[in-house]
Amino acid sequence: MKCNFHGNKTRRGIVKLTAYVLIMLSFIFIGYNRASAEESSPESQTVISVPQQETTPPIEQAKPAVIVEPQQKPAERQKAAAEPEIIEEEPTIQIADPIRPWNNAMYHFNDKLYFWVLKPASKGYSAVIPEDMRIAVSNFFENVTTPVRFVSSILQLKIEKAGNELLRFVYNSTAGVCGLADAAKADLGIPRQKEDLGQALGSYGIGHGFYIVWPFFGPSSLRDTVGLIGDAFLDPVSYVNPLEASVGITAYDEVNTVSLHIGDYEDLKKSAVEPYVSIRDAYLQYRKKKVEE
Amino acid sequence: MRKKTVVFIIIVFLMVPLCVYAGPPLEAVKTQVNKVLDVLRDSSLKGEAGKKVKREKIRNISGNMFDYTELSKRTLGQNWSKLNAGQQTEFLGLYKTLLEDAYADKIINYADEKVVFGKETTLSEKTAEVQTTIITKKADIPIYYRVIQKGADWKVYDVVIEGVSLVSNYRNQFKEILSNKTPDALLDTLRKKVGKA
Repeated sequence: MKCNFHGNKTRRGIVKLTAYVLIMLSFIFIGYNRASAEESSPESQTVISVPQQETTPPIEQAKPAVIVEPQQKPAERQKAAAEPEIIEEEPTIQIADPIRPWNNAMYHFNDKLYFWVLKPASKGYSAVIPEDMRIAVSNFFENVTTPVRFVSSILQLKIEKAGNELLRFVYNSTAGVCGLADAAKADLGIPRQKEDLGQALGSYGIGHGFYIVWPFFGPSSLRDTVGLIGDAFLDPVSYVNPLEASVGITAYDEVNTVSLHIGDYEDLKKSAVEPYVSIRDAYLQYRKKKVEE
Repeated sequence: MRKKTVVFIIIVFLMVPLCVYAGPPLEAVKTQVNKVLDVLRDSSLKGEAGKKVKREKIRNISGNMFDYTELSKRTLGQNWSKLNAGQQTEFLGLYKTLLEDAYADKIINYADEKVVFGKETTLSEKTAEVQTTIITKKADIPIYYRVIQKGADWKVYDVVIEGVSLVSNYRNQFKEILSNKTPDALLDTLRKKVGKA
């Protein structure tokens, strides 16, 4: 009897998984069909913002400009003496990249994942679901992950931010109908904010360690990976049982997010001369700003 | 009487900085960005042909808006002196096209969105940062323009989108290329990139 029950459960799991895969495939299929038709339409390129966020501008972003005298070889010295040139250079952020072959491979993997799976799936999905509903879904997931931002704010002693998170959660869960509408922003003027444990660790002065590109998750670092693992413990979606449901929800969240930002990654890649370096630097600069906020 | 005079003088002195910092950088950025937005919102330019005209117009505006020499020097940093005069001129032209395309691509998506001009921060004697925010349904996108005083004008030398500085981003890319290749190879890569775009 017990065995039978177990068998049923497994079968149900398989059926669910198959249904899930079929839905994904149909999205991809619709996406591919639309891709060719939509390529020239301006609608396919939506708004730019690589990481989705709402922020208050940083108070001080000013970096002291360092005046650097170009180092000259003796042969050039004479020419340079005739017209001395001072080049101002702001310091750039650097990170160690000892596992670059792995990172490079993962960068290519994620690139293909985006163009072959995520983008077509997101396009198919957005063909079926109107934008307002997708924004509602994104609001819902944002509301669910409140614990991540609340705890991260507390750990950084950002009491006001933590309070805002609590207020947003209560208000959006009620007035915002289970978090589907961002009522706290509309009515109370408290915008979305982004806080995670990686930022909290950064605010303690912990450095990145080195650069890591994860398959599926994208650019990260040693520090931010530790943060990500911690975030997962604070994310209610991680506790959804069974595991495939949890993974499915996460994948759905990702497709929904991508559907709101189709075109961002393409633009980033198009304007880059050395895309791998460009993405690495953009990640570092973005994280630095988040930590400083 | 004397006390009054002292207070008056203090007030006058307090007012001086206010006059000096009455926001020429902000005004400069506002004027230029609004010009770009006017082009983007021009309803008489439609379709692919209209888009082409829009791009060309944005190109012309950004020619006045940005200081490409400053941009090039800051981007290459110490490597700038590794290029000879001819290479510098060519780099300037290629980099200009690359940036114009990148800027036009980004800003063209915001045609129907609201742009809010925020505060300006003084970075150094001759440089300042002007904060703008683009309000969209999905998110607010902060775009900061860093400007440098050139004569009576303020010219943009860096654009910072969501904390990511364009100049720093390109500098790291060019640094990477120049660390194992010659300036000629860099120019060749740029030529291909711009030609393709």
